[in-house]
Amino acid sequence: MREPRDSHGSQEPDVIELAAVAAAFGHRLHDSGVPVTPAQSARFGSAVLLAQPKEIDELYWLGRITLLTGHNQVDTYDRVFRHIFQGLIDIADVAGRQSEQPTSMTGPEGDRQQGAQSDTRESPSRPRGSSASPGDRTSGADDADAPPQVLAAMSSSERLSDVDFSRCTPEELALIRRLVEQLPLVPPLRQARRTRRHGRGRRLDVRATLRRAHRTGGDPVELVMRTRTDQPRRVVLLADVSGSMEPYARVYLHLMRGAVQALRAEAFVFATRLTRLTRTLAQQHPDVAYRRATQAAPDWSGGTRIGRTLMEFLDVYGRRGTARGAVVVIVSDGWETDDPTMLREAMVRLSRLAHHIIWVNPRKAATDYQPLVGGMQAALPYVDTFVSGHSVRALEEVMSAISSATHRAASAA
Amino acid sequence: MTLAEQVPDPKALTAKLAEHDYVADAGLATALFCAVRLPQPLLLEGEAGVGKTQAAKALAAMLDTPLIRLQCFEGIDASEALYEWNYPRQLLGIRVAEASGADLSEQSLFAREYLIERPLLQALEHPGPNPAVLLIDEVDRADEEFEAFLFELLAEASVTVPEIGTLYAKVPPVVILTSNRTRDLHDALKRRCLYHWIDYPDLEQATRIVRLRVPAASPTLVEQITAAVQRLRTMDMQKPPGVAEAIDWVHAAVLLGIYTLDSDGVDQTLGSVLKYREDQERARAEGLAWVAGA
Repeated sequence: MREPRDSHGSQEPDVIELAAVAAAFGHRLHDSGVPVTPAQSARFGSAVLLAQPKEIDELYWLGRITLLTGHNQVDTYDRVFRHIFQGLIDIADVAGRQSEQPTSMTGPEGDRQQGAQSDTRESPSRPRGSSASPGDRTSGADDADAPPQVLAAMSSSERLSDVDFSRCTPEELALIRRLVEQLPLVPPLRQARRTRRHGRGRRLDVRATLRRAHRTGGDPVELVMRTRTDQPRRVVLLADVSGSMEPYARVYLHLMRGAVQALRAEAFVFATRLTRLTRTLAQQHPDVAYRRATQAAPDWSGGTRIGRTLMEFLDVYGRRGTARGAVVVIVSDGWETDDPTMLREAMVRLSRLAHHIIWVNPRKAATDYQPLVGGMQAALPYVDTFVSGHSVRALEEVMSAISSATHRAASAA
Repeated sequence: MTLAEQVPDPKALTAKLAEHDYVADAGLATALFCAVRLPQPLLLEGEAGVGKTQAAKALAAMLDTPLIRLQCFEGIDASEALYEWNYPRQLLGIRVAEASGADLSEQSLFAREYLIERPLLQALEHPGPNPAVLLIDEVDRADEEFEAFLFELLAEASVTVPEIGTLYAKVPPVVILTSNRTRDLHDALKRRCLYHWIDYPDLEQATRIVRLRVPAASPTLVEQITAAVQRLRTMDMQKPPGVAEAIDWVHAAVLLGIYTLDSDGVDQTLGSVLKYREDQERARAEGLAWVAGA
């Protein structure tokens, strides 16, 4: 951290107080879910010294510029800033007891958002999975089958591979999740712009060739070639968590977590609205990640608006680049409560952006299945690969569809 | 004049930027102030067309220093961003040395005159007195390895060339990174940067900006167009028009000799503000007169 150039000795008392306030402010922000490092707090202090703010607005911007790292943190920042600097709390008071846990920090309206961000710390006021019971049930089942039942999982895995998730008991589902986590994930590849040395490459490596030329008196006798490298292609997973998909949603959450961690995939869930889970599922501890994921999506087990949520995905993420050239996996039964024309329009746009679209519909497994649901019918013409993914064995199909995703023209041939 | 005298506080910076036809609100002025004075790299995010790149250009104009721009793209690497050895020249150097019988050592072959400076090195080599403005544009397009490669530059204002050693900046450049958020930047990069999100400007500010950028346009036309852009933005567009589109629109209208915006004028110039067929259809369905504000 650079020291501010114009901090004089005469400012010493101010500086000490400023440091305390800056640290306390950072601490409060951190507690509210905005990760603030000591270096950032110091940066805030230096900026205040430099700019000498005289109005509260100036101070507000100095803090916002120096302490935040993302646009989504602004709401929390605003709340904490109001709390500390606009008369609700005496600053001296804050500086004095900065090590204590703030107890009255969360207003009723901010509680939900904050809870989603800051749950890693064990907060006694929030019992595990305080919302609905399903979240509790699954995590409880996971805990219960710790070491003794692993063997059982091995022996029954063969049988479970073919069972439809919707017909499983909670205990079986817990075993299945374990199986799902063991599924191999191979990323689809694309050609990158970077090159590497390669014996049968097609481009000349001028740098290396000339270096070799030193050995032969400056004449490039031995040519070194380069070739394009392969890079993992982006994978985007969108899972339907509406009521009709309930039996499958939780299993797919495990698949998504695996994909986020192993393939650096982007993960979203939707029912009536879209929720991005990439950050949440990147958490190391599975239970924490799943609990937060269900809390982060307030419409869990609600109705379905595939068209609208898909549009939202395209507008907010997809068009910016998340879907561009990506392998997009949509897990849904295609039951659309809105007009399917919007879904069709969204699929048209998505098919222009994405490299390959895989639609996973667990209902496809039924022998007499016909894509009669309005939404499914609207979407199907734009889908490259249509798979069922209703059981563990069918999930393997999904995995291989992802890793071997080729272009539409190629797969149609 | 030192930097501290030129830029004593955010308000002075706003005033100076205004002299260079750039309207900055309090937030952006504070961000640029911190970037110049702390000094620390600044990460600017916002929708396309809100003036992220323009902010860097205006800052460079204000400081009267060169703007060195590095446009990031997928697969960008050190030889494109930092430096590259001038191989043909080295080869020629060897030939000349051979012909003249001069002594040629490895050191003289890897001397500075054989180094091609790419943008990052150019920014470090800027002699001052004011720092150069280094714009690393759309850093989210570069791949993640490249972010890590920027760390040394951002934290220490130095780069390491294996054959020569570490080169330190004479005057550390003001670094501005922009991102369109096509992917999350690495936390390590974000932590090293100041952060500012540029919002769409409000009607009044947008009018001021457009008037500054297109002085030839009549005030009524500018007001009508900024209001129309605001209206279009309320619709569900694939690409909501930003300030850049408003400026393009005014340019097009001036070129076509339109003095007040009516539905005919909108019809002629709609392509300069809405770049998707679906968006245009949506606007036409809503009624061109509504867009024009009639």
